[in-house]
Amino acid sequence: MALSVSEVLPVDARLTRRQIWSVGGGKGGIGKSLLAASVGWQLARMGRRVVLVDADLGGANLHTCLGLAMPQRTLADFIQRRVSSIDDVVTETTVPGLRLVSGAGDLLSAANIKHLQKVRVMNQVRALDVDVVLIDLGAGTSYNILDFFLLSDVSILAVVPEPTSIENGYRFIKSALYRRMRAAAPTATVRRLVDAALDPKSPLGIRTPVDLLSRIEADEPESAQALRREVAAFQPRFVVNEIRDVADVAIGHQMVAACARHLGVRASYAGFVHHDDAVWLAVRRRRLFMADAPTSQAAEEIRQLTRGLVKGESLGSGY
Amino acid sequence: MEAGTEPPSGDPDHYGVLGLEPRASREQVERAYRFSLELYGEGSLATYSLLEPAEAEQQRARVRLAYEVLGDEQKRRVYDESHGFLPPDPAVLPFPSSAPTAPAAEIPSTLGGADLRKLREARGVSLRHIAAVTKIGVRFLEYIEEDRFEFLPAPVYLRGFLQEYARLVGIHPRRAADAYMSRLAGKK
Repeated sequence: MALSVSEVLPVDARLTRRQIWSVGGGKGGIGKSLLAASVGWQLARMGRRVVLVDADLGGANLHTCLGLAMPQRTLADFIQRRVSSIDDVVTETTVPGLRLVSGAGDLLSAANIKHLQKVRVMNQVRALDVDVVLIDLGAGTSYNILDFFLLSDVSILAVVPEPTSIENGYRFIKSALYRRMRAAAPTATVRRLVDAALDPKSPLGIRTPVDLLSRIEADEPESAQALRREVAAFQPRFVVNEIRDVADVAIGHQMVAACARHLGVRASYAGFVHHDDAVWLAVRRRRLFMADAPTSQAAEEIRQLTRGLVKGESLGSGY
Repeated sequence: MEAGTEPPSGDPDHYGVLGLEPRASREQVERAYRFSLELYGEGSLATYSLLEPAEAEQQRARVRLAYEVLGDEQKRRVYDESHGFLPPDPAVLPFPSSAPTAPAAEIPSTLGGADLRKLREARGVSLRHIAAVTKIGVRFLEYIEEDRFEFLPAPVYLRGFLQEYARLVGIHPRRAADAYMSRLAGKK
């Protein structure tokens, strides 16, 4: 007799514990904050307890995306020890289950928080009693941003179908991966090789993580083995935002293939969101489009994207 | 091995160049070829910042060479044999590459929508992906998985939908369609 379906299948990987999700992208103005706010909103609607953290410390505006005034207390109060616990700067939103840690809009220097402060933020973020902590990272590839991205269980990389954004997307991936590899480098020689990869003028001519691994393999095969595991564990998920043409959908598939074939990185394509005037109109009204225009195409795509992220699904290979 | 069909040493094999597993179906080879040509096309947004123009041209040449072999049944057989690759499997279409496969014999004789959904989710294939490749609306795919028979199209179309669905999930298309249709017949 044939086996039943339930006997031959593994249990699907549902969200079963607290997770840290982050949204990065390298370039500013590509909709990271709206993406984080809307995915967080949808997660809360799906019954998850969510805290959105605005880590865009230089240009925080997640509260505006959610239609809130600047909260009284922000991450800056926690970083500067005006309050002792990150719980003291968590603000309720109008959506049950969705809360916010606002960014440090009043403190530009916070973008350069020191290492110890960062560790304190990370530890307390991990300890929050919620299902999902969703971090909106700022633009750029500073160490703070890369570290938050790397500590996440779900690392979302937003791009828009434009050359500058895609270039920055790859730069972000390379920077994050090199940072991870450097932290895991077992010897000083390997650290020097990673540094050479980071230096475009290095005479060693290491251009990609694939080049770097072959070089390490030649010098220290055992170290290469360890670093290969780091590379394999690094799995960013692309979201292509502000799609205007049906051909733009393919950009995500192509970036995944390019990452695998030329950077040696196992990325996936989590989903896409069309450019939608409903989003723009809602922003003008200082309301989130998920609430303001729930039947819009963008809102439907965010719902599909979020469901896919929860289940760990991606859009496949594109061919 | 015919002259000119062997990739330069140190390169990935023909399957790797197209991002395929060695047991890929003929249709997957076709799709992967078209996808790769676009990926390395002049002005491709996804690769221009990663590859110099000369490197992109080199990639295009590699893709064409790979397709010349894998797109031709005879040449592919010779290539597979000389590299120790197994021939394409007609019973199980390996998609996605990392997914476990359910051979025809393991598909129960009747399948409900919930069973199909479990098989699909276990393989990490989203409905959106199936919809994007097959052009079948997500809503219809949801009706199939929800057993909402009243909204499903006529059997002749439904069978086609089911086979497309099964093909992308990586289970035997005809057996899966038969199993679903027989359950449907029992419900009516």
